[in-house]
Amino acid sequence: MSFDLIIDWLQATLRWSAPLLLVSIGEVFAERSGIINMGIEGIMLSGALCGIAICYLTKSVTLAVLVTLLLGAVLGMGVAYLTVSRRTNQVVTGLMINMLALGATDLLFGLLSGSRHVRVATFPTLFPKSFHSIPVVGKILFQQPVSTWVAFILPFLAALVLYRTTWGLNVRSVGDNPQAAATAGLSVIKIKYQTVILSGIFAALGGCVLTLGEVGYFASGGMTGGRGFIVMAAVVVGGWDPLRTAAACIIFGAADAAQLRFQAVGSVIPYQFLQMLPYVITVISLTIMVKRSRVPKTWGAAYDPEDV
Amino acid sequence: MKSVTKSKMIRMPLIGDVMMSGARTVIGIVMGLVAGGILIALSGVNPFAAYASMLRGAFGSLPAFSNVLVRASPLLLGGIGVAMGIKAGVWNTGIEGYMYLGAIGAAVVAIQPLSIPPILHVLLSFVVGMLFAAVWGLIPGYLRAYKGVNEVTSTIMLNYVAIYLTSWLVSSPQPLAEEGAFYPMSKLFQESAQLPILMRGTSLHPGAFIGIAICLLFYFILNYTPFGFRTRMLGSNINAARYSGVDTKKQVVFIMVIGAILGGLSGAIEVTGLKHRVYMEFVTGTGYQSVAVALLAGGNPLGVILTALFFAALKAGGATMSIETGVGASMTDVIIALCVIFVIAVGVDGRRRMKKKTAKAETAVTTEGKEDEHVV
Repeated sequence: MSFDLIIDWLQATLRWSAPLLLVSIGEVFAERSGIINMGIEGIMLSGALCGIAICYLTKSVTLAVLVTLLLGAVLGMGVAYLTVSRRTNQVVTGLMINMLALGATDLLFGLLSGSRHVRVATFPTLFPKSFHSIPVVGKILFQQPVSTWVAFILPFLAALVLYRTTWGLNVRSVGDNPQAAATAGLSVIKIKYQTVILSGIFAALGGCVLTLGEVGYFASGGMTGGRGFIVMAAVVVGGWDPLRTAAACIIFGAADAAQLRFQAVGSVIPYQFLQMLPYVITVISLTIMVKRSRVPKTWGAAYDPEDV
Repeated sequence: MKSVTKSKMIRMPLIGDVMMSGARTVIGIVMGLVAGGILIALSGVNPFAAYASMLRGAFGSLPAFSNVLVRASPLLLGGIGVAMGIKAGVWNTGIEGYMYLGAIGAAVVAIQPLSIPPILHVLLSFVVGMLFAAVWGLIPGYLRAYKGVNEVTSTIMLNYVAIYLTSWLVSSPQPLAEEGAFYPMSKLFQESAQLPILMRGTSLHPGAFIGIAICLLFYFILNYTPFGFRTRMLGSNINAARYSGVDTKKQVVFIMVIGAILGGLSGAIEVTGLKHRVYMEFVTGTGYQSVAVALLAGGNPLGVILTALFFAALKAGGATMSIETGVGASMTDVIIALCVIFVIAVGVDGRRRMKKKTAKAETAVTTEGKEDEHVV
């Protein structure tokens, strides 16, 4: 338990929060418009594999990110078609998307490499090498990959868009009162599609950051480890507000980072208990925070345009 | 107004409705299988050959079919656990966690050399397993009913906790663990605590038959008992249930715990019948598959029997297909998910109208300001 360890933990906290932050941005918008995209876990997993695969095949990180964004948009469109146009149950749809992604990523990863040992380059760091040796801040901030910086800036932008633009207002009104929004001339269906596609894009990006931002490999069989569900919990804990959700994500990220640090150092507590930590904290914080949250009025309900 | 006349036109007598909903499921499954075939073709394997090998692997011989029954056992019990929840409007997605807890509970008894008849030893293992799972299920049930925590998130989080708990309990210094094992696992179960093998040369244990019996039992409970009526009322109209004096919160906890007990039994059967040990990740994937089973069955216990056997056949056949044609065994999961997605996407008009009413009812509750009823 030393100073170095704490620095190390802070650095890891920022890094492990980054994917959660990115995924949470899209999910906040989708849920604000009334649609719970429970498929983010599966979309994250697909994004994680897509990032690795494209990076492995083309050796270009930029191309990998672009293709991942496209994949996220397509999967988000699929979820939107089912939940918005077909009005399927949002929980069922999400769970099945997750199951589909779990199976499909395993299959595709098997095709990609027989040996299952694909290692690729990760995201570059934003600052030059000379910054890295600055004590404390150098390690915590300047050694972070680009993705971490992006992930920490985007929630502020998201809050700006949600509260200060017309589109943000439209999203909120569609989630709170779709009938009124439709009467005012908004296309409820269109806005719901936009937010769900957005959540797909960010979920895929988050998955990509999970693999390309940090580890540089893919492990089939659910390497996202329920992070999509942790983000969903963060959105509830954060009261559907981009910034407070981001804060919740950072707390969960910190638990994740602590778990890994303690495992490496070795402690009297069995490491399995540390592995439980992020999940236990998620459930506890949900329990504490749930009553204080203001739920979007038509959260999770199907919208029928013929309904008056 | 047009929509009203339209929905009147397709209004059919009861048997017609049943046929419609049955047809919807069949159409969805066929579409799922076709889509799966396209994916198999894309991975460079003849889909007809793959499906033929799948059929052979599931029904080709008596041992093959006994394998289907073995795989059906956890799906039947997990499926009925989820289905009970669906009838009551609760998503019990924690089957995987309950299975781990049930297996641990069973192991606690099963590794002890007790001088009691084998049947009692097995039953005692089951009871302790179900007890462990019931306590585990009480957590999300209580949180959902009294704290308003969404049960999907909490049960899935608790699944991960259960996995790591199992991993800890079967690692070396713990009393359950086998010492010096190459992979963390529990001690081998006593002979007297293992389920009998029903057919020589296979691993057919009575689990599937227990599962079918329990599905029939719950069909009876749901349709012909006051408890079943309250459960269905909760799912179809929670306000009506509340006004007619049902303690909806208690009912939700009951349903979650019953689902947990069934999941626990499923885990206990899996370890006493098939694995004879507990180790980490011995049930991977069964949790989601149980949800798929219950969904495709529409929460109907008799439907659970059919869909569980269907998915078990896909899984058993998928393993054979994987060996014979080289298509990964995960293709089964993909096909199952596709089937369910197509079934829910192929909607009929009548179902849509119903759904809208529920959504409306929910909004009505919100506007009345009953914030404590919100589950998030």
